[in-house]
Amino acid sequence: MREFYVRKSSFLHSLDPRVKIVGTLLGILTLMFFNDPRFLFPVFFLILIAGRILGGIEVRRQLSLLKPLLVIVAFTLFFWPLIYSPWYMGLIFGVSFSLRLLSFGLLTFLLLMTTRQRELILGFVRLGLPYELGLTLTIALRYIPTLYSLAQTIMDAQRSRGLELDRGKPLVRLKKMTAVLIPLIVASLKTAHELSIALESRAFGYGKRRTFLRDIEMSRKDYAALAVIVATFLIAVYLRYSLGLGHVAIYRASS
Amino acid sequence: MIVVEGLHFSYDGREILRGVDLTFGGEILALVGPNGSGKTTLAKHLNGLLKPVRGRVLVDGMDTRRHTVAELSRKVGYVFQNPEHMFFEETVFDEVAFGPKNLGIRGEELEERVRWALQAVGLEGFEERTPYSLSGGEKQRLAIACVLAMKPKYLILDEPTSGLDGKAEKSVVRTIRTLREEGHGVLLITHDMDLVLELAERVVLLFNGRELFEGSVEEFFELELEEYSLELPELLELAKGLGAGFVRSVEELMEVLG
Repeated sequence: MREFYVRKSSFLHSLDPRVKIVGTLLGILTLMFFNDPRFLFPVFFLILIAGRILGGIEVRRQLSLLKPLLVIVAFTLFFWPLIYSPWYMGLIFGVSFSLRLLSFGLLTFLLLMTTRQRELILGFVRLGLPYELGLTLTIALRYIPTLYSLAQTIMDAQRSRGLELDRGKPLVRLKKMTAVLIPLIVASLKTAHELSIALESRAFGYGKRRTFLRDIEMSRKDYAALAVIVATFLIAVYLRYSLGLGHVAIYRASS
Repeated sequence: MIVVEGLHFSYDGREILRGVDLTFGGEILALVGPNGSGKTTLAKHLNGLLKPVRGRVLVDGMDTRRHTVAELSRKVGYVFQNPEHMFFEETVFDEVAFGPKNLGIRGEELEERVRWALQAVGLEGFEERTPYSLSGGEKQRLAIACVLAMKPKYLILDEPTSGLDGKAEKSVVRTIRTLREEGHGVLLITHDMDLVLELAERVVLLFNGRELFEGSVEEFFELELEEYSLELPELLELAKGLGAGFVRSVEELMEVLG
């Protein structure tokens, strides 16, 4: 895994990055309105299917990116029933928070898998974000897979020295992770430093106005997609706040 | 003896090793081949970091599929290409002690092993330095010491001289020679043909996940190396031009020429 972007020609790939960014943000916002698992489950699968049909990304590939989130999911499922009474309500909330998190992940990864880095920056900039910020954001995203494979290499190196990361009590394991984290941090700082030199040596920050080699323009298809996104968002708001659907009260007024 | 039999390995649906056979004992074996030929993938099978999809790898009779990397690390030491990927302790001493400690070695024996390993790579007196403060060649030798302190019978060195200046490279070469004299088997992964000429006793050429050649250094340099994106060392070009045949060093060439 070197980068998120999957080279394909699908509907989502051809969409204007601004529409996809707005869609992702509104999607995340919408998910925050609802906490009923009966509602969130279908939504999660809907996103998966949309990614498959509209984005041409295999379901398995989408799911494999969610693996790192499973740690947080496990924590959530474990602690909610512990701190909440009755416990089964806690479990329901644990499930709903997990589903939200996984859906956030799916939406974000879908954006990254269907949008090239330069289009993503351009999208952010055209939405009014300063170029520096857009670049920083996409570089950060771009380096997640790189850091991931670097971490794998470092883990291999330390395992070759007899380190067994998956043995021992949690605290011992945490201490063992320093053997991986320190080389990882050092290597990351070096990469960041080299990257900054590379950017500056190509006159990054020279002038206030930047030009772009390729620009983006909203087509009729993009407007249509945006309309669908906004309509879906409004329907969700209506369902939640006028009809009161899809929400379970966490804090009961009586207690 | 490390024995590799009919090793196949695929990743992401791509076949990386397509049936490799290899035996390797107490010698300096150069594993060469262009980028992406599967050298590192093969090497990672020898200490169990990767497990065979098909075929098997036996380290002194131990099947790598049935043993953990930690268990195999007593037999096979693996020095990764970038030494900095393993440094995390504050001092050189602690860095070298990390491996043996993982094997459960404590007290006097631990101290003795660290001193011995540092001496073997010529880094005695560096005990209290910070690993990251060392020079390129010193870092590479420290990385070797870290693995050596675990007293493995076999050592895998992945591109041990890449990015080093002449002096540093010489110091690494000297270290490898010493290890060989002390009875270690050394597997050298490299595209540095000068290094192969200088050090290797046997060469295995990997290409597209297959073993295309296995034999002596002399036979190896008779191959059409350009076909495998490799180049004949300048010394051999010169010797060829002068009609001197196969030589391994400048001294040898001068002797042949009288």
